[in-house]
Amino acid sequence: MTLFGRRLPIVAAVLLAVGLAAGLAAPPDRIQGNLQRLMYVHVPAAWLAYLGFVITFGASVAWWWRRKPGHDRLAAAAAEVGVFFTGLAIVLGSVWGKPVWGVWWTWDPRLVTTALMFFVYLGYLALRRATLDPQVRARRAAVFGVVAFVQVPIVHMSVLWWRSLHQPPTVLRPGDPTIDHSMLAALLMNLLAFTVVFTVFLRARMRLAAAHDEADATPGPLAGDAVSAPRLEGVTRDG
Amino acid sequence: MTAWLQLVQITRKDLLIEARSGEALLVTTPFGAVALLFVPLAVGTDTPLLREIGPGLYWVVVLLFGLLVTLRHSAVDTPAQIALLRLCGVHPVVRLAGRAVASALLLLAFELLLVPVTVALYDPAPHGWPWLLVVLPLVATGLGLLGTLAGALAQGLDGRTTLGPVLVLPLAVPLLLGATQAPRAAALGHAPWPWLLLMLTVDLIAVLALLLGAPHLEEVA
Amino acid sequence: MHPQLSPQAELTGVHVDVQRTAVLRGLDLVVAAGEVLGMVGANGSGKTTLLKVLATLVTPVAGTVRVRGPVVLLGHAPALCPQLTLRENLRFVAGLAGRDAAVADASLATVGLAAAADRRADRCSHGMRRRADLARVFVTEPSLLLLDEVQTGLDVASAGLVDHVLEVVRHRGGASVVVSHDRDQVARLTDRVVELVAGRVGPAVIV
Repeated sequence: MTLFGRRLPIVAAVLLAVGLAAGLAAPPDRIQGNLQRLMYVHVPAAWLAYLGFVITFGASVAWWWRRKPGHDRLAAAAAEVGVFFTGLAIVLGSVWGKPVWGVWWTWDPRLVTTALMFFVYLGYLALRRATLDPQVRARRAAVFGVVAFVQVPIVHMSVLWWRSLHQPPTVLRPGDPTIDHSMLAALLMNLLAFTVVFTVFLRARMRLAAAHDEADATPGPLAGDAVSAPRLEGVTRDG
Repeated sequence: MTAWLQLVQITRKDLLIEARSGEALLVTTPFGAVALLFVPLAVGTDTPLLREIGPGLYWVVVLLFGLLVTLRHSAVDTPAQIALLRLCGVHPVVRLAGRAVASALLLLAFELLLVPVTVALYDPAPHGWPWLLVVLPLVATGLGLLGTLAGALAQGLDGRTTLGPVLVLPLAVPLLLGATQAPRAAALGHAPWPWLLLMLTVDLIAVLALLLGAPHLEEVA
Repeated sequence: MHPQLSPQAELTGVHVDVQRTAVLRGLDLVVAAGEVLGMVGANGSGKTTLLKVLATLVTPVAGTVRVRGPVVLLGHAPALCPQLTLRENLRFVAGLAGRDAAVADASLATVGLAAAADRRADRCSHGMRRRADLARVFVTEPSLLLLDEVQTGLDVASAGLVDHVLEVVRHRGGASVVVSHDRDQVARLTDRVVELVAGRVGPAVIV
C-alpha cells in the first residue's frame, strides 16, 4: 500500500487541470474582470476548510462513542488538512480583497469566523502535539474537537450581529443562481477537483498515522526491557 | 447531595490556596493593570481617544489575563492529588465544577479590581454602566468554565499556560462582543437583551461541555 | 467469611499499555482479605502501574478487575496541597469522605504530627509529609491499602508507623499491598511476596 495510492492522485491531477482550465476559459467578471477568477480556488479552499472541520467533529463524536483509534486518526488528519485549506482560503481571500476592496482584511463576519476557526484548529493540533500518550491524546482531542465545533456557530452568530458587510450567498440560493452558467460550471468543476485532492491528502495522512502507530506498537516493547544491569567494571577501590 | 458537599469542599480549598499564594489577585491583577497602563503609552494620551477605547481595552485585558487567572499554577492538581480525589469518590465533573466555581469567583474579583484602574486611566463615558452588574458575572462564569476546561485539556502538558488560552480564547469571542456591545447598546437606548442572552448561551454551552466532557477526559472505571 | 472465598482484589488476564509500552501482559493476581502482600520487581517492571490498576485509576485494555474498596493509595509523592497546613489537608480529605474534622485532627496525633498540624505542607520535611500522607489511612479507613515505596525518607519511628498502619487495616479485615525495593523490609512487613516479571506475577518469592 502506497501513501498516496495509485489511481486517485491521477484522477485528482486530471480533474484539477480540467477545473483550472475551465476557470481560465470562463468569461471574466463584468466588474472585477480577471481578478474574479480567484473565486475558482478561493471558494473550493473555503469549502474544504469547513468540510475538514465537520469531519473532525464527526470523527471526534465517533471516538466518544466507539473508542476506535481509526476515528482519532481521521479526526487528526481532517484537522490538519482542514487547517491547510483554511490558511489557503484566508490568504487567497486577502489577495483577492486587496485590489477589490482596497484592504487586505475586512471585518466581515465570515472572514472573522474563518480566522477564529483557523486558530481554534491550530490549537487543536498544538494540543495533539503536546500530548504524548496516545490514549490521553485521543481523549482530550475528542473532547476539544466536539466542544470547539459546537461553539463555532455561536461565534459566527455573535460576529454576524456585530457587523455584516459581506455579499449574500450567491450560489446556494433557491431558484436561478445569480452567476453566469459557464462560471457556475467552472466553479463546480473546481469544487469537485479540490475535494478529490482533499481526499488524497486526507487518505495519505491517515495512512501515515496508521503506519506511525503500527511502528510504535510493534514489536511491542515490554516494560523493564529498557533497563539493564549497571556496568560496574573499570573502577577499583585502591586504583 | 454528597456531590454538592464535595463541590463546596473543593471550591473552598481552591479559594484558601489562592488566599495563601495570592497568584490570581496579587500577581495576575497587577499584570493586567500594567497592560492597561501600557496602551496609552503606546498609542498616545489623547483623552477623547482613550475615553473611546477604554471599555474595549478593559474587556480585552479581562479576557486575556482572566484566562491566566483560571490557569493559575495553584489550580493544578498533581497526579497524586487527582488519585486521592478519585479514591475519595469525587467524580471528575465535581472536581472540575468545584474548580470552575472558584475560578469564576476569582475572576469576578479580578474584574472588579480592574474597573477603577480603567476608570482612572481612561475616564470612559459612564453610559449603560448598571448593565455591568449583569455583564461582569456572566463573563466571569463563562470564562471560569472555559478556563477550567482549558486547564483540564492541557493538564500536565508543557506550555500549559500558553496552550490553554490558545485553545479557548477564540471560543470566548461571543463573551468579548457581548460584554462590549451590551453597555453600548444600552447607552444608545436599545435593550441589550440579545447580547446578554448570547453570553448566557455561551455560559450554558460551557456548563454542558464540562458536564459531558469531563468524564471523557479521565477514564472513569 | 473465609478470606479465600471473598478476595479483596482479583485481577484476571490484565493487559495494560502505558505510552505504547506493554506494561502488564495477562497478569493474574488475587489479594486475599486480611493479607499483606509484598511486591518486588526491577525498575520499570510495572509495579506502580499494577497499584494503579488495583486502585481502579487505570483501566486495562483487556482483562477483568474486581476490587472491594474503599481504597487508599500512598504513592511516591505525598498527595498534599503544599500551600495548605497539614490539618487543612487532612480535614479536606475528611470532608470529601463525609467524616468529621475531629477525625482528621486525631489522625495527625496518631502519626505524631499534632504539634506540626498547623504548619504548611511545603514547610514540612519529606518525612513529615510522608507521615501526614499515612494519616489518611485513619481518616478514610480503607479496606484495601496500597503502599508504593512509602518507606523512603521515613525515620526509624516512622517505619514502625508503617507496621502499625498495616496492622490497623488487617485488623478491620482489609488487605494491603506493599511495593518496595528493600527485600528485607518486604519480608518483615508482609505475609507473602510476589515478583513482577515480564508483565506478569512470577512465582512466589522466598526472601
